[in-house]
Amino acid sequence: MTNIQDFSGYNPTWCPGCGDWGIGIAIKQALIQLGLNPSSVAAVFGIGCSGNMNDFLNAYAIHSLHGRAIPNAIGIKIANHKMPVLAIVGDGDCYGEGGNHLIHACRGNHDITVIVHDNGVYGLTTGQSAPTAQKGFKSKSTPTGILETPINPLALTITSGATFVAQSFAGDVIHTISMIKAGIEHKGFSVVNILQPCVTFNKVNTYQYYLKNVYKLDESYKKDDFKTAVQKSLEINEEKFPLGIIYQKEKSSYTDELTQLKDDTLVGKKRFTDFDIITKLFI
Amino acid sequence: MIDFTWLIGGEAGFGIMTTGVVFSKTATRSGYHIFDYVEYPSLIRGGHNAYEVHVSESNISHLNSAIDVLVCLNKETYEKHKGRLNDKSLVVFDQDEFEITDDVKKIIIPFKKILSNLKGQPIMKNTIALGASIGLLGGDVDELIRIISEQFAKKGEAVINFNKQFVQAGYDEVKKNYSTLVINYLNKSSSAKGTADEAKLVLTGNDAFALGSVIADCRLYSAYPMTPSSTVLTDLAAWQEKIGMVTRHAEDEISVINTAIGASFAGVRSAVGTSGGGFALMVESISFAGVTEIPLVIFLSQRPGPATGMPTWTEQGDLLFAVFSGHGEFPKIVLAPGDNEEMIELTAKAYNLADQYQLPVIVMSDMYLSESHKSVSKKFVDDFITSYKVNRGKLINDNSKVKIQNSKLQVKSQNFLRYKITEDGISERLVPGTPGYFYQANSYEHIEDGHTTEEAQPRIDQVDKRARKWKTYLSNDFSMPKVYGDLEKSEIVFVSWGSTKGIVLQAQKLLTNKKIDSAFIHFNYIYPLDKDKIVDLFKQDKKYILIENNSWGQFGKLLTMETGFEFKEKFLKYDGRPITAEEIIKKISNIKSQITNKS
Repeated sequence: MTNIQDFSGYNPTWCPGCGDWGIGIAIKQALIQLGLNPSSVAAVFGIGCSGNMNDFLNAYAIHSLHGRAIPNAIGIKIANHKMPVLAIVGDGDCYGEGGNHLIHACRGNHDITVIVHDNGVYGLTTGQSAPTAQKGFKSKSTPTGILETPINPLALTITSGATFVAQSFAGDVIHTISMIKAGIEHKGFSVVNILQPCVTFNKVNTYQYYLKNVYKLDESYKKDDFKTAVQKSLEINEEKFPLGIIYQKEKSSYTDELTQLKDDTLVGKKRFTDFDIITKLFI
Repeated sequence: MIDFTWLIGGEAGFGIMTTGVVFSKTATRSGYHIFDYVEYPSLIRGGHNAYEVHVSESNISHLNSAIDVLVCLNKETYEKHKGRLNDKSLVVFDQDEFEITDDVKKIIIPFKKILSNLKGQPIMKNTIALGASIGLLGGDVDELIRIISEQFAKKGEAVINFNKQFVQAGYDEVKKNYSTLVINYLNKSSSAKGTADEAKLVLTGNDAFALGSVIADCRLYSAYPMTPSSTVLTDLAAWQEKIGMVTRHAEDEISVINTAIGASFAGVRSAVGTSGGGFALMVESISFAGVTEIPLVIFLSQRPGPATGMPTWTEQGDLLFAVFSGHGEFPKIVLAPGDNEEMIELTAKAYNLADQYQLPVIVMSDMYLSESHKSVSKKFVDDFITSYKVNRGKLINDNSKVKIQNSKLQVKSQNFLRYKITEDGISERLVPGTPGYFYQANSYEHIEDGHTTEEAQPRIDQVDKRARKWKTYLSNDFSMPKVYGDLEKSEIVFVSWGSTKGIVLQAQKLLTNKKIDSAFIHFNYIYPLDKDKIVDLFKQDKKYILIENNSWGQFGKLLTMETGFEFKEKFLKYDGRPITAEEIIKKISNIKSQITNKS
């Protein structure tokens, strides 16, 4: 069994009190509890404070470009569908720069787990507003308040075809571990949106703010009902943040449907050499 | 020597394209070589389509200026192409549809009447035209029917038999009324065909790239449709289950290239394909593949730009963009095949180079090469398959090898030195998932184990390490341009790259007929160039003439940048049309008269 040290690379450079600390620990704990080790998991990081986790987490990893972690993760999964693949990204990264990739990854039900650090700001570039910032949020790039309404990550991903959508709060590490674990265990496209205070640049969405506005879904919640899930996801428009698995549905994943991967992984299979079946098409 | 051009034209959306391929296959199965070319607007219905097939006893990849048989399915075809007719040309058309008053050799085929008698759809005009054409050229109608039957095999016997009637009707019409005009160009039994029994593949350049990729064991191909590169995706998508590869039509070209980068990181040979606009979207990630040292093959089939440009026409306008694509300084390799044979060879080579040097390799094509069919001998392909060896360079994919290093009951995984400083610049690469190790491929500057760095010395070490890969490549794998003709003897020296090869070779032939010697330096290995080796080719007192399908003379600029050599004479064409040998000859006559006047 691996321990937290096995997964630990460099010491994190996050600000004291940053929500990333909780998320970083939660990811490592989830991997340990699932019996994984740094050699058996692939992680792709976006660019941002969240992406800087690349140096703090040991795994077969790509530190990608801003916004592009999801297609990299899809590529790894297609090449080796037996390996768990995580995309560890930020809200600007995933909902802004890489928004198109997110929508289409949902449609494809690619069996990857997207862990989004949702803090409403661009921390690494010193606090400009993110696509999840609430309307009117004042930042360096929106000094009179952001004009756009925020992205609703839950509604967007559920309606785009994601088969696992969960939300957690970085201040509740135990719950975050369980959400990440459930996301990795889910066969298909899973998103865990993690509400995370940026103690340096976001003076609105603080720990106190979230403690006041989050609540856990109770046992009676029907996570497999699409309409209920959409309804539930819309609560965040009223600044009510449900925590838990908002939506989960069993459905064959992208690689499940590729008959050419039935017997072996793409990277593991033998070279094709029966070239005559191709050349004869052209005679 | 038999060498002729058949052209069929009609309204877009009426099956001209498939008809052209059937004609090409009929010719190759009768022992001939073909090169064909399509002209079509960027729309699905309406507008004019023209498909010409150049048939020859020799291996060709150029077009003739004259049309020997012109099949007009509408009046526009005649009007557009009559300038290329000579007094021997035959013009096939239906007098019930339009009149031709010019003094040309008319072959009147009652398309309209046949269609109504046999209750055919308008699209079957093509089938009648094929029957008539084969009749007129003394070809084998049974072979034609066999090809059509193969094409409709999935649709069943009834459809095949229905179509057969139209072939026969067109064929009979010629045999009945025009037997004296029959020219035995496609006659199988005619003499002077040494290669008659040799099987040939009828491939487009895109087909050749797809085939080369399969031979090279490419397992992931990702693309977003963009003319003229799209048929690589449709080919491979059609074959994927049979050959065990995966194709992904992603949401945009950014996702396309990043999917391939992810798959390549995970250990499978991966490629992407696009044209200029899509390539522009990929450029950020070419730089990403460069710094993470993830192998990648990029197929770039050019069309006239800028922006949307002229989507269905041809140009070599993206050379410098490809050579300098990507922010920052990192090595890449650019190759440009000149014809289908070179496309197969260089494509397969590109996968080896990408793996050996762990960098992006760009294979350049254009509409002229990508969408024209050219016959390739089956033996050539079979021999190439036999000789080709997959070379994955310093990739460690042999689990046992790693397990031995790791057998000492070691609990903790080690950080693999993915970017280890080496003399040749190339570091070992480990397939992710290999037990006992981990590493990250980092888009930030990094140290040997992949961790991010902003320190001065490690930065310098990694930049230098990556740059050494180019040095190693130039000494081990760079190939000199091919020289055709006698460089010592000739005063005229053509210089070109990529798809213009066959056209310049034809121009050389025409010059030989005029007793003018010429040499031709043709580049396949475009970038990086080995300056020290190249420069000798340009030191002599010759008339060097640069030939490019663009307006800037981009390869000329690249050569100047690398060697200091400057071209005084250039033939540049940028109207969206391919260059013809005759245009080159005209340019030569101008230069020749200058030379004569001087002396």
